[in-house]
Parts: sequence; structure tokens; C-alpha cells
Amino acid sequence: MTEVHAHKRKIPLWSSDGPWIWLLPVIILLVIYSVYPFIFNVIISFHRFDPMEKAFRWNFPDNWINLFTNSDFLKAFRITLTYGAIALIVELVLGIAIALAFDRSRVKLRGLWQSLFILPMVVPPVIAGLMFRFLQNADYGIISNILYALGVIERSEPLIGGTGRNVLLAILIADIWQWTPFVALIVLAGLKALPHEPLEAAIVDGANRWQLFWEVKLPLLRSVLAVVILFRIVDLLRLFDYVAIMTSGGPGGNSETISHYAYRMHKSIEWGMVSVIGIVVLILAIVVTNVYMRAFKVKF
Amino acid sequence: MAVTQLPATGVAQAQTKQAERVARARHRRETIVQTSIAAFIALIFFLPIVYWFLVSVKPLPYTMTWPPVILSEPIFDWYEVVVLGMDPNIGAKTGIVFNGAAGDYYVIPSLVNSILIGVLSTIIAIAIATPAAYALSRFHFKRRSSLIAWILSTRMMPPVVAMFPLFWLYTQADQRVFSSIFGRGTSVLYDSLLGVLLVHVVINLPLSTLLLKSFFDDIPTDLDEAAMVDGCTRWQAFSKVVWHYALPGMAAAAILAFITSWNEFLLTLTVTRTQFRTVPVFGSTFDVSAAGTEWGALAAVSTTAMVPVFIFVLIVQRNLVRGLTMGAIKG
Repeated sequence: MTEVHAHKRKIPLWSSDGPWIWLLPVIILLVIYSVYPFIFNVIISFHRFDPMEKAFRWNFPDNWINLFTNSDFLKAFRITLTYGAIALIVELVLGIAIALAFDRSRVKLRGLWQSLFILPMVVPPVIAGLMFRFLQNADYGIISNILYALGVIERSEPLIGGTGRNVLLAILIADIWQWTPFVALIVLAGLKALPHEPLEAAIVDGANRWQLFWEVKLPLLRSVLAVVILFRIVDLLRLFDYVAIMTSGGPGGNSETISHYAYRMHKSIEWGMVSVIGIVVLILAIVVTNVYMRAFKVKF
Repeated sequence: MAVTQLPATGVAQAQTKQAERVARARHRRETIVQTSIAAFIALIFFLPIVYWFLVSVKPLPYTMTWPPVILSEPIFDWYEVVVLGMDPNIGAKTGIVFNGAAGDYYVIPSLVNSILIGVLSTIIAIAIATPAAYALSRFHFKRRSSLIAWILSTRMMPPVVAMFPLFWLYTQADQRVFSSIFGRGTSVLYDSLLGVLLVHVVINLPLSTLLLKSFFDDIPTDLDEAAMVDGCTRWQAFSKVVWHYALPGMAAAAILAFITSWNEFLLTLTVTRTQFRTVPVFGSTFDVSAAGTEWGALAAVSTTAMVPVFIFVLIVQRNLVRGLTMGAIKG
């Protein structure tokens, strides 16, 4: 075989011997989707849209001051983080437990159970929202009635409605139903890909099942879990669909998330505010993912 | 010879038989226990869908009571309204009088849109992402790793960041640029097929590109080099030889892209008004907090929208799982 050496010469940008022409469409489209919105948001965040004049008026720093003194936004911020943390922990623990259950050696008809289990993932969140709206109806919803019977919630404070004390639970149930299979599937694939030697060595050393999981499997799954958690964090920060369909942020703003708050601002033509929120959300996402990737040393 | 057999061996045999029986019984018990647990989990996640489907074949009074009538003689009136777009005032059987007009629950147009947009945007996204992924895998240039990090960061970006800028770009481009070219009131981007497609292509590019890059990384470079020794240019080496080996990766990426497009809501809601509604946008037009919610019609809408994708997913399940786990296992 003759080695093909790229000589040290200037490759023109449009030549297929260099990378840029190959990457051009992706770069252009992603610039439209991420770089342009960022610059646009920064500029617009110093303005207020005047519906009468149909123009943007400079009003720095009003939007920024508004946002951070606005109790609605601060509440939405807090709800997004609270909700995200709870959903993440529950989905992770449940997902790992389910993956372990599916990974047992004597499960018959595994393919069938796995197929049924995958389906929630491909129900559009909006449709899932309609479904849970029905299942969680205060009077005749099956989930509501089960929870009443178990004494988890009171009839006077239903899942959706009342003072909104339990509304986060309503959204959590939908999210957990939809996304636990995703976590479980990836962890299951990770379990199947585990090397045999450490497991066998541990069994020879007389490790019981619990030790096998905690001390052997979990450390080996670390990189898989790191990626799953990252994807879930990113999705939970953007939560919008269930809120829009099931609760519209109510009652009393108790299920308002950042994305939904921004959408409401967009609807009421407070476009300066939408841009400020856009930047804040972007910074939040960058900080969270960076801290996370450093802490877990996630690499792609 | 049986006659001269020592009794001791008989005892030993009996003992091993006994041990085998015990082992078999234990195995059977394990099979039953483990299978029941897996089945129970699967059914817990699947039953809500079944329960919701049943609402679509029952008269309304049967669903709006507690305890509900789980099974009744099926009626298909809801499907006549939803799939055939018939006049919903069938009152007598379904037990309600509709608040809406005939077209309100007619899901077929948005379903056609969803499938059309899903398929087209998937094809475009994969067609753009495959060469890009090839370049990221094969060329070693300055800034390569920062470019990959940037592509990944766009996948991490919450869509709400792009919501208003895209809305503004679309509406302004239509008003100021395209109107002067094609005449007043044209919508080239806002509430048009092109505009929705653009959004759906863009949201799928980052993941498709990175997924395909890891597939190309697994394809030996000898292939490209052999083709180039035989006189192919870089482009020909890719277009005639190498991309065929990435087909499984393209399939996995395409399935993920289609599902993402199928579920996308916020951006599509922002850039469409009435023309190019997808199923999620159509589903969001119903006020489910109202007292007279037609659950049967909504369940029929949901079922009609879910069944095609369920069939699709069950066919491509192996590829889907592979695509999902690709990044995670290699990470």
C-alpha cells in the first residue's frame, strides 16, 4: 500500500481536500439557529417593543432590572430547578432499577416487554399532556382516584386545580412516565456491554448481588450514566410542553417554568423581556452543563 | 448388569436426580419471578395508553364517571369525527353535543403535515450531516475539537433562546424581502412548509452529525485511501465508497431525527399559524380545562396520531436503541 501524504500546501477553502466545504451547510444552519439568536437577543434585550409605533425603543437597563425583581420570573426559575432536580433523581433511580430487572437472565419474552416499554418515548409530549389531563382529572381521573385512595393527596387539593399545591406532582408523573424508559434503555444497553472479567472475578470473590451492583456494575456504568444525566438535564431545563398543555403555568403560577414564562411574554408582545430570558436561560444552560461536564469529566 | 449393581450407586443416582429436580424447580421459580417483574413494569408504562385508547371507543358518559366503565360495546363515532371530518353532532350515541365546528377535531391534515415534515426534514438533515460528519472524522484541522464542542453546545441550547429571533427573522424576511419580490402578503418562511422544515432540519443537525461522526470513526481509513490510490478524489471516495459503510449509522440517526421532529412543539408553534400545523400544534388548540371537554374526540385524535409511529418504532426498534445508546456507550 502506498501511503497518501497530504503535502504541506495551502488547500483552497472550496476544495474537497479540505474540511470546510463539507461542513459549510451545517455551519451556516447552526449559525442561524444559535449564533444569530444570541447576538439578536443581546441587542433586543436593551429595548422594549412599542406596539403602537411597531418599533423597538432603547430602554436599557429596564428589562434586566425587571427580570431580576420580577417575582413571577424568580418563581419560574425556582420551579424549573426544583422540578428538574426531582424528576432527574426519580428517573435515574427508577431507570437503573428497571434496567437491572430487565437484565436478569431468566426473563422470558424480553423483546415484547421492551417494546411495550419503549412506546411512551415516542408519544409526542403534547399528546401525553392531553392523556394525563384526562387521567388526572379531579373527579373521574384514574390516577387522581388511586392517589386519593392511597392518601397521597386530598380530594380538596386535586392534582390539577385547587390552590396548585400538587400541580408539580401532576407534571412530574407525566415526565417520569415519558422519560424513565429512555434512561432505562440506555442503562440496559450499558449493562449488556459490560466486560465479563470484573463481574466474574467479583462473583468468585463471593460478592453478593448488592455488592456486585454497587461496587462493580455502577462504577463501570459511570460514563454511560454521565451522558444520560447530561441529556436529561438539558431536556429538563427546557420543559415546556406538559405545562403548556396541562396547566398553562397555573394554578397561581405553581407550575410556571422558565420556557413557559418566556412563551407567555412572547404572546403578550413583551419581546424585550423574551430576549432577556433567552440570554439568562442560555447562561444557565452553559453554566449547568459546564459544571456538570467538569465534575464528571464527560467527554464526547 | 442391573442385577449386580451396587445399592450405593442407586442411592447416589437418586441423590443426583433429587438435586436436579431441586435445581429445575428453582430455575422455574426464578423464571416466573423475573418474567413477572419485567411484565409488570412494561404493563405499568403501557396501560395508560390502552386506557386512553379505550376512551376513544366509548360514549362520553361512560368515561366521565368514577368508577368508570372500562369496557363497553365499542362505538366508532369519535373516529368518524376525527378521521373522516364528519359533523360532530352525533349527540344521541356519544351523549354530548359538541361545542366546536366540524373541522375542529379533523386530525388528518395535521397528521399529513407531521409525516411530510418529519420525512422531508429527516432526509435533508441526514443528507447535510453525513458529509459534515465524514469531514469531522477524516480531516485533522485546526479548531476541529472546538468546532465539535460548538456543534454539541447547539444541541444543549434550550429552544426558547431561538424562539423569538427565528419568529422575527421569518416575519421580517417575509414582510420586507419576499413581499417586494413575490408581491404583498407572501409567506415564504412564516407559516410555510419551508420555514417549518428549516426549524426541523436545524434541531436535528447537531445530534445527527455527532452520531454519524462516531460511525465514520469506526470505518477504517484504508477504504478511503484505497479509493484515492485508484484515482478517486476525496469527494468520490466518500460518495462512491465510504458512505455505504455508514448506512447503519444513517438509519439510526434518521430514526432519531424523525422522532425528534415528530415530537417538536415549541418552535413549530412559534413559526406556524394555521397552514402547517403539526400534530402537537394541532393538539395544543384544545382547551382541556373547559367543562365540556370532548375526551372521546381527543382520545381518538391521540390514537390516530400514535398508531403510525408505534408501528414504525416496533419495526425499527433495534436501530432506535442502537442510535440512542451509541453516544452514551462510547462517551
